[in-house]
Amino acid sequence: MNELESVGLMTLGLSLKRAHILLATLAIALLIAIAPRVVFAQEAAAADPAAEATVADDAVTTAGYTPMAPTEGKGMPIAGATDVQEQFSPIGHTAVKLHNALWWIMIIISAFVLLLLVYVMIRFNKRANPVPSKTAHNTLIEVVWTLVPVLILVAIAIPSISLLAKQYESPPEDAVTIKVTGYQWYWGYTYPDNGGFEVISNMLPEADALANGEPPQLAVDNRMVVPAGTPLRIQTVAADVIHSFAVPSLWFKLDAVPGRLNEKQMFIEEPGVYYGQCSELCGARHGFMPIAIEALPREQWEAWVLEQGGNVGAAEEAAPAADAAGEDAAADADEA
Amino acid sequence: MATTAEGFDTHTDDHAHDADHKPGFFARWFMSTNHKDIGTLYLIFSIIAGIVGGGISGIMRAELAQPGIQILNQAIFMVGVGPENLDAALHHWNVLITAHGLIMVFFMVMPAMIGGFGNWFVPIMIGAPDMAFPRMNNISFWLTVAGFFSLLFSMFVPGGTGMGAGTGWTVYAPLSTTGSTGPAVDFAIFSLHLAGAGSILGATNFITTIFNMRAPGMTLHKMPLFVWSVLVTAFLLLLALPVLAAAITMLLTDRNFGTTFFDPAGGGDPILYQHLFWFFGHPEVYIMILPGFGMISQIISTFSRKPVFGYLGMAYAMVAIGVVGFIVWAHHMYTVGLDVNTKMYFTAATMVIAVPTGVKIFSWIATMWGGSIEFKSPMVWAIGMIFLFTVGGVTGVYLANGGIDDYVHDTYFVVAHFHYVLSMGAVFSMFAGFYYWFPKMSGRMHSELLSHLHFWVFFIGVNVIFFPMHFLGLDGMPRRYPDFTPAYAQWNEVASIGYMIMAASMVLFFANIIYAFVAGKKAPANPWGEGATTLEWTLSSPPPFHQFETLPVIKDEAHH
Amino acid sequence: MNSVTLDQKNLRTGILAILGALAMLGLGYAAVPLYNLFCRVTGFAGTTQRATEGEADAAAKAAQSIGGKTISIRFDATTSGDMPWTFRPDQTTDTVQIGVRDMATYFARNNSNEPITGTATFNVEPEQAGAYFNKIQCFCFTEQTLQPGQEVHMPVLYYVDPAALDDENMKGVEQITLSYTFHRAKDEGS
Repeated sequence: MNELESVGLMTLGLSLKRAHILLATLAIALLIAIAPRVVFAQEAAAADPAAEATVADDAVTTAGYTPMAPTEGKGMPIAGATDVQEQFSPIGHTAVKLHNALWWIMIIISAFVLLLLVYVMIRFNKRANPVPSKTAHNTLIEVVWTLVPVLILVAIAIPSISLLAKQYESPPEDAVTIKVTGYQWYWGYTYPDNGGFEVISNMLPEADALANGEPPQLAVDNRMVVPAGTPLRIQTVAADVIHSFAVPSLWFKLDAVPGRLNEKQMFIEEPGVYYGQCSELCGARHGFMPIAIEALPREQWEAWVLEQGGNVGAAEEAAPAADAAGEDAAADADEA
Repeated sequence: MATTAEGFDTHTDDHAHDADHKPGFFARWFMSTNHKDIGTLYLIFSIIAGIVGGGISGIMRAELAQPGIQILNQAIFMVGVGPENLDAALHHWNVLITAHGLIMVFFMVMPAMIGGFGNWFVPIMIGAPDMAFPRMNNISFWLTVAGFFSLLFSMFVPGGTGMGAGTGWTVYAPLSTTGSTGPAVDFAIFSLHLAGAGSILGATNFITTIFNMRAPGMTLHKMPLFVWSVLVTAFLLLLALPVLAAAITMLLTDRNFGTTFFDPAGGGDPILYQHLFWFFGHPEVYIMILPGFGMISQIISTFSRKPVFGYLGMAYAMVAIGVVGFIVWAHHMYTVGLDVNTKMYFTAATMVIAVPTGVKIFSWIATMWGGSIEFKSPMVWAIGMIFLFTVGGVTGVYLANGGIDDYVHDTYFVVAHFHYVLSMGAVFSMFAGFYYWFPKMSGRMHSELLSHLHFWVFFIGVNVIFFPMHFLGLDGMPRRYPDFTPAYAQWNEVASIGYMIMAASMVLFFANIIYAFVAGKKAPANPWGEGATTLEWTLSSPPPFHQFETLPVIKDEAHH
Repeated sequence: MNSVTLDQKNLRTGILAILGALAMLGLGYAAVPLYNLFCRVTGFAGTTQRATEGEADAAAKAAQSIGGKTISIRFDATTSGDMPWTFRPDQTTDTVQIGVRDMATYFARNNSNEPITGTATFNVEPEQAGAYFNKIQCFCFTEQTLQPGQEVHMPVLYYVDPAALDDENMKGVEQITLSYTFHRAKDEGS
């Protein structure tokens, strides 16, 4: 009995609390009712989150390099699109083939089920078929609808597995290495083979993005500049919480995890600007740390590197080996 | 077998109740040990939680109706958050998505499916007078309620950048540990502890009841499929939830007591948290849909006036889904940096689940085939569920491909996928179950017209919300974003309009309940005709406070 | 009598179920050391191996037979956000003979005005190389304390197991990256 009483007291307390929550609930419900109007009323009120970004700017915009103007619809989402973005990497082309095949399989299966349902509803409704059959077993059909999906899945699995194998091809030794570091809430791009300088990349405020002719929420102040037509070794790591480095038009997504390095090959077929966004919840400004990759012809990219104070080719050994213990430094000269 | 029946009689005689003697209001609803009353409490609780969770998604859809931040920087619903502190407002977005996810999973779908319909109908369908541990049943419910309050409370205490826990329902470390100071995340974790403990006790109760308290002749292979589905679900709960409990307890000690289970600074690994979470998280999605499968089977059979096609295949398909559900978890982690062999394994294993799921879909259609289908309200919801779940299922096969996932992982495509299987698969089956059993539970008939209207408006609404999300995902829009580039504006606007259509349909739902209680006809014992063969239809509507004082005997020819 | 039997039966089933749940809870905790062990044994997630001098000598002998194949090693250094250290490899890349031990050094400097103890996490990429990347000596085996302004060059002695050459998954791997991240040691507080 004692036990029951205490349960009773506890539940009484809860019921009082619930009254409060009910009120809160009602308030929320009311809010939803007025929400759409609020949306339109507040159109102009959008404040700009990136305005507060405090991270130091690199002195990038000097001399020869001017950021490339993006091509409308290339490397960025397209308004009202119903399919994946156009791909600019070999892996993207392979993946899109599988994607297209899967898309048709999905549509055919869904349509097949819908057709069966419609047929059954018309043919076997109460008026059309007043006396139900009592059939509850048919071994043959049960085997068929187990085996046919198995075959379909095997047919999907074969190209899917080979796509995976292709995605995991290790970058060649002479690939250009870029180390991507995720911070709350911006990206850092380090070029270890080119002197180890780091480019800090923050989202541009909406007005600046529009002024540059770039899509808001995607444009950044300093892009990750890379050579086109060259294998890239992308290594991701995070300084605080988990982020994810994702560029849809290159079919690329790799988490940046604190305390461990991830690596994946990237290959961009042609020069251009390719946008992406952080794809792992990383706190308040998760939606405000976009990625912009600018692929340049190799010579222009090298010029950009030199402008950043980095080095290219044989000269690269000098800087990082400055205070090397050194025994092997000379042996590394084959790295180009 | 007759001896068992006697046993029940002796047992109930101890309490000396006659069938309809009910305790007083407070004792009945706050200290309830009656499975039907507790089921009712769960359903009411789930509806309230659904309103809160659905309300939160309303705020989210309003914010996403167009580019820019329009709602979050308004101080109207969060004291102390204004345009001057945008980070706190953006943090609030994360609080909303976290709360929406947790509420819908732990406090809406699970309480309704397992706590509500499971409590109400599992004992009746197997011919038992009550659950095995009636008092523990009550504890389960109130633990869930306490968990809900802990979660709501967490929204009003500091959680790092702003008020509340903004970690996503996955509570990934280190965002949930070093990335979120303040007690909000602790309360959110505690909420999961409470709800989890409640569910583990509930699962124990269901397993015991189903194993030990079936009426004479009610063999496992004669149990209605809904009971099968709850049995499989109970096992999933029992095996998966403790792993979550362990993982979030480690989070809690990492946060407060200096342990470093998931902190690389102390030799821990944040990826391990993801492995543990998804070892629970993937079975969890089947926990949410399996009871729905069970309900759909009952309903399709009832309104086709045919026994379920391939009963054993249906039962063991659910067992297979449950078992395979435990070995596919890392498909939620394709981008964390798994090696190629691991990813290939999880791709293949995940696709295997499509086979038993396909068996279920086709068996439902085969049940209807040759039947004499009556389109009563539960049936239209069930048919809607079959189609929409198929759509969610095929996008699941698409997502299972590790190589494809590199593109769509954490985009709106994933959001579309899991809302098709849950917000449509699970919720449609819950509405189907609700309309199916409402006359039985309340003793009143609801309006068929209103429930059909509810169906059509809801059907259009949710499709308008979630179908464009496939397009948004394919166009690259990431999840959990309060703002987006203008290219995503069109489909987001459509989705927000869909939300309003869906919200309007809920008015019809509540109007229907009110109508039933005010003007609804008295429900007969079996309002659905000869197709309804399970035991609940042999009792009056509503059933007596204590049923089966004398145990029913299930004869050999009785079918499922 | 029979009612007692049912209650007892229920109790037994219920206790079994709860025990099952408790076992899973235990398994959840056991996952921490088990995952750690699994990674160390299999090289999963790019976990490197630890080798003794003896094993290194054996590997070097085995390497003789395969005739001096080389592989490129890249060295990477990261500091976590709350770590006021400069930390970088003294050499970005190095080409080593498979099976033969080699030494690389990392440079670290404490930029703050208090002594700081750091601890390093590590992994290699690509991940399948973890099983073949052996460290004989490493600064990451222990915590490192640096006084304000102190600079050190820290060695890591390693070799690549010749068995890598027989692994199908290692085909096409031209460069292995060895990565370290320095964190502020947890027990030190902040």
